[in-house]
Amino acid sequence: MVAKGDMIYAWAKDSEVQKKGECGGAVTALLKHALESKMVDAVIAIQKGKDLYDAVPTVITNADDVIKSAGSLHCGTLLIPKLIKKYLNGAKDKKYAVTCKGCDAMAFYELAKRNQINLDNIVMIGVNCGGSVSPVAARRMISEKFEVDPDTVHKEEIDKGQFIIEFEGGHKGIKIDELEEEGYGRRSNCQRCKMKVPRQADIAAGNWGVIGDKAGKATFLEICSEKGANLIESAKAKGALETEAANPKGIEIRGKVENAMFKLGDSCRKRDFEGLGTGKDRLKLIMEESSKCIKCYACVENCPICYCIECSTKKPWYIAPGVLPTSFMFHLIRFAHVSDSCVNCGQCEELCPMEIPNALFMHSQQTEIEKMFGHVPGRDMSPPIHALAEEKAERARLEATGTDSIYINIFDEE
Amino acid sequence: MSENTEIMKYVPTTCPYCGVGCGLNLVVNDGKVVGVEAYQRTPVNEGKLCPKGMTCWEHVHSPDRLTTPLIKKDGKHVPATWDEALDLVAKKLKEVSDKHGPRGLGFHTSCRTVNEDCYIFQKFARCAFKTNNVDNCARICHGPSVAGLSLSFGSGAATNGYRDCLNSDLILMWGSNAMEAHPLAGRRVAEAKKKGIPIIVVDPRKTMTARIADTWVRFNPSTHIALINSMMYWIIKEGKYDKKFVEERTEHFEDLKKTVENYADCEAIHGVPLATVKDIAFRYADVKNAVIIYCLGITELTTGTDNVRSLGNLAMLCGNIGREGVGVNPLRGQNNVQGACDMGAYPNVYSGYQKCEVPENRAKMEKAWGVTDLPDWYGVTLTEQINQCGEEIKALYMLGINPAVTYPDSNHVKRQLEKLDFLVVQDIFFTETCQYADVILPGACFAEKDGTFTSAERRVNRVRKAVNPPGEAKEDIWIIAELAKRLGLKTFDLPTGKDVWDDMRAVTPSMFGCLYERMEKPESVIWPCPTPEHPGTPILHREKFATANGKGQFFGLEYRPPAEVADAEYPFTLMTGRVVFHYHSRTQTGRSDMHREVPESYAQINVEDAERLKIKDGERVLLKSRRGETNTVARVTDEVAPGVVYMSMHFAEGVNNLTNTALDPLSKMPELKHCAISIEKLGGN
Repeated sequence: MVAKGDMIYAWAKDSEVQKKGECGGAVTALLKHALESKMVDAVIAIQKGKDLYDAVPTVITNADDVIKSAGSLHCGTLLIPKLIKKYLNGAKDKKYAVTCKGCDAMAFYELAKRNQINLDNIVMIGVNCGGSVSPVAARRMISEKFEVDPDTVHKEEIDKGQFIIEFEGGHKGIKIDELEEEGYGRRSNCQRCKMKVPRQADIAAGNWGVIGDKAGKATFLEICSEKGANLIESAKAKGALETEAANPKGIEIRGKVENAMFKLGDSCRKRDFEGLGTGKDRLKLIMEESSKCIKCYACVENCPICYCIECSTKKPWYIAPGVLPTSFMFHLIRFAHVSDSCVNCGQCEELCPMEIPNALFMHSQQTEIEKMFGHVPGRDMSPPIHALAEEKAERARLEATGTDSIYINIFDEE
Repeated sequence: MSENTEIMKYVPTTCPYCGVGCGLNLVVNDGKVVGVEAYQRTPVNEGKLCPKGMTCWEHVHSPDRLTTPLIKKDGKHVPATWDEALDLVAKKLKEVSDKHGPRGLGFHTSCRTVNEDCYIFQKFARCAFKTNNVDNCARICHGPSVAGLSLSFGSGAATNGYRDCLNSDLILMWGSNAMEAHPLAGRRVAEAKKKGIPIIVVDPRKTMTARIADTWVRFNPSTHIALINSMMYWIIKEGKYDKKFVEERTEHFEDLKKTVENYADCEAIHGVPLATVKDIAFRYADVKNAVIIYCLGITELTTGTDNVRSLGNLAMLCGNIGREGVGVNPLRGQNNVQGACDMGAYPNVYSGYQKCEVPENRAKMEKAWGVTDLPDWYGVTLTEQINQCGEEIKALYMLGINPAVTYPDSNHVKRQLEKLDFLVVQDIFFTETCQYADVILPGACFAEKDGTFTSAERRVNRVRKAVNPPGEAKEDIWIIAELAKRLGLKTFDLPTGKDVWDDMRAVTPSMFGCLYERMEKPESVIWPCPTPEHPGTPILHREKFATANGKGQFFGLEYRPPAEVADAEYPFTLMTGRVVFHYHSRTQTGRSDMHREVPESYAQINVEDAERLKIKDGERVLLKSRRGETNTVARVTDEVAPGVVYMSMHFAEGVNNLTNTALDPLSKMPELKHCAISIEKLGGN
C-alpha cells in the first residue's frame, strides 16, 4: 500500500500506453484510470493540435481518448486552472483530473484561496517542468540555431540541461544555457522559476531519478496526498499501473537535479532583477515600459490572481476610459492587488501585445514582498497578505457605510 | 470525443477586425461561443491580441442579431420567410435589370467578410446582370495603395511581411498609427525598438505610435509629396541614392530627378525644418536596409495614389525593394480588404486582378461560369454609385457594409439612398443603413462560417465555423446561391466555403496553389502561389518587379493641396482616424464590453486653440463644414497642432457629417482625411 510521502517508479501495464506515453506512460495510465473508475467526470490534458508545437487544452470524457494526450509537449505555455474557472464553472459540481506544470499547480491554489475553484473536485497530477518554450519561438530556434526544418521534427524534449530534437534524419541537442544566451530557449518567467517538482499536487511525476534497468521506461512518482495515494492504489488494483520502490540512489540524484534547477532559477532571478535597477530608476523603467499599454486586458484575463467581476481598472474615477496612453494607475492597481501572490506563471508577459515585461515587474515585487512578510504564494492554502474578501459582500458593506473612503473605515480610531 | 456536447472546445480561427490577421481560439461550450483564448501557435501574433481581438466574440450571440429576413411594408420592416424575401429580391433586381440594363444596378461588398462571400458576390453580379458595377470599401481606404503600387511596382499589395521589419536597419512609418489601428503589427515595431532598430514616425499627430518613435516628425496635414520630394532632392543631390538599383531595376529616374529639383526647401508647405528633412532623408538613404510602413494618412486624400507612388519613388531611389528587411508595406485596414480586392470585387478586374477589358480573361470567366457576354467596361466606383442613385442606378445591393456611417458626407449618402427603387442590405445587425433597405437579409458572422481572410501581408488565413448562425440567419454563400438559382444561373451549386474557394482558384493563376489543405497550419500560404508545390511568396519583387517589363516605375509627382483647405469661414483642418477600442461603425464593438471605453465621439482640439475659443476639456462643441455639422465632446490636447482638429470615424451623425466627397482622380478615393471646419463652443458637459 502506497502512502503520502512515498516515492516510487511506475509504468503503465497496457503496452500501447507504455509506448505512447512518456517514460512508461504512468501519467496517461493514471488519467485513464481516474476516468474509467469514475473517480472523475473528465480529464483535462494537453493534446497536439496541428503539430507538436500546438498545445490544445482538451476536456476528455471518454477514457479511450485519454491516450491522445500522451507524451510531453514543451511548447505548452498555457495555464489550465484559469480555464477551469472561466469555462468549467470552477469545478464546482464536476470532478476533473488535470495534468499540471508547477505554475499550473500554484495557480490552482491561488484560485482556490479566492474561492474560484473547488480543489476538492480536482485530482492534480503534477509534472516536473524544466520550463516551456513558446511554440513560434521554438520553431524559429529549431530553424535558425539547430538548422533543421521544424516541420520534420517528431519529438522534442528538455533533458540534462539540453534542448533535444528528434527529426527525420537524426537527432540534435544544444545546451539550454547556450540557447538562452543568444535569446532563444525558455520563456523569461520559466528561466526564473523555482517550482520544479510540484509537491502541492496530489502526485508529482517526472523522469528525474529513474535509474537502473527502468531508466526511460518508468516515471518517478512522489505521492503528495492521500488522494494521490488512493488513485495509485486503485490503478494498481485494476491492473492499469505497475510500481516498485524508487532506487534510493535515484532519489538522491533527483534531489541534486532539483537543486541544480533551483540554482539556475536563482541566477536568472539575479540577472533579471538586477537588470531592473533600484528605487527611482526601477520605477522609471516600469512606468516607461507600461506606457505602451493599449488595455487589451490579456494580463487581467489570464492572471490566476485576478478574478474580480468589477475590475477596479474599469472604474472611471481611477482611470479615464478611452484615453491612451493608459494611465500608470492601471498597472499600479494590478501591482497593488496581485504582487503579494504572483506565482510567476508568465501569462501576462507572454500574451502582452506591446511586449511589456509584466511578469518580470510583478515577480520582482513579489520576491521583495516575500522577503518582507515571509508569505510564499502557490504552495498551500495560506491566505494572501492582502485582505481576502468575498467581493459582493464587501462591496455591499462599503456601500452601506455611505462613504467610498476605505481608509476611514479601516483605519479610523474610534 | 464520443459525446457530441462540446465542452471547452477550441476552434482556431482569424480575428474579424483589422488587416493584421491575428489567429485566436474561439471557445465553444455546448453550441455557444463563450470566450476567446490565445492561439500561441500562430506566427502572426503568437497568442497576443489587442482589445478588439480579446473581445471579438462578444457580439456573436448578441440579442440584437438579425434572425429573420425583413421586408419593408408601409414604411416598417416586418419579418418574412426566406422564400418571400429571396423571391422579392430576385424579382426586383431582375425588373431593374430588364428596364435599365446592367448600369442600373450596383453592388457594394464588405471587406470584413470572407473571401468566399466576396468572390461569389462579384460572380453573381456579373453573371446575373452582366454588370461591372461591383466595388468594395477598399475604395475609401487603401484603393490608392492598390492603384499606386500597381503603377509603381506592378502589384498593389504589401511587398514584405510584418515580422520582416525585425530584419531592417531603420523603420520609417508614415501616416500610420499602428499601435492603435494594427496593434499586432505595431508590436513588431515595438520588438524592433527593443533590438535597437531606429524608428522614424511621420505624423501630424502625436499618436501612441509617435510616442515610441526615436524621431517623431510633425508636418502639416496632407503635404506628403512636398516632404517626400524634398527628401529625395537631397538624397539625389548628395549622391546617396542606390545608383546600381536605379540603373538596373527602374525606369524614368530622370523624370523624378527633374521634378524634385523644385523641392529643395518647402518648409512653407510641409512645415518641417530643412535640417530635419535632411536628417531623416539621409538616415533612410544611408542604412543598408530600410522599410516603409504606411497607412491611411497617406491614402485617404485626393492625392492618395500620388502619395503612394511617392513612397514607391523613395523606396526605389534607395534600393529598398526585393529582399529581407526592406519594402513598402501598406497596413490594410480591414480583416479582408486585401481579400475582397483579390477576389475581384472591383469594377475593372476579376479575381487575381485580371482585367475585365482583356478578352481572354472574359472568355475564361465565361467558360468557367457558364455565361456569355461578360461586360468589358469599367464599372462605377463606390461613392460614384451613391452619386448615381436615382439617376443611372435604380437598385443597390449591400453586403456587410454601412454607408450611412462610413462613406463621406453622410447626409448626402442618406438622401441618395432614398432615391433608389430598391435597396437590399445583407448584414448581421440592423445598422444605420438598414433603415433605408427594402429587404434585409440576415447573414452569418465570422464565427458561423468556414472560409478565409487574406491579411495585409498577403497571408491567406483560415476562418473556421464554431457555431451555427442564430434563428433563421444563413451563411452568406447560401443566400447568394439561392438568388442565383432563382435567376436561372448555373455553376452556383457550391455548398461549402471550400467549394467556393476552389471555384475561385480554378480561374485565378496567382492563387491556384493556395489550397485549403495548405492552410491547416497557421503559417498557411502567402500569395502569389501559382502551384500546389510553390512555397508562396512572402517577399515581392526579388529579381524583378511585377510590371510588364519588370522595371520599377519612377514618377515625377507635383504636390497638390487638398480639395478643400482651411479658410476664413472654416478656419480649422479636420483629420480623421481610428481608435483602438472601436472598429469602424461599431456594429460589433458597440456590442462588447469595450464600448465602455469610448461610448461617444470626441474631437481633439489643440490647447492654444481651445484657450482662444474658451473651450474647456470635456465641453460640448459643434463642428461645422460645408456639408453638415456634428455635436461632440472636446478633448483639449497638444497631440494635434494649432489649427488642426482630429476626430475618429466610428460614430453615426459624427465625423462623416463633415467630410468631403472630392475624389482622387486615379483611384476614386474620397478625401476622408482632410477638410475645413469651424468650431463653435456649446458649453456644458
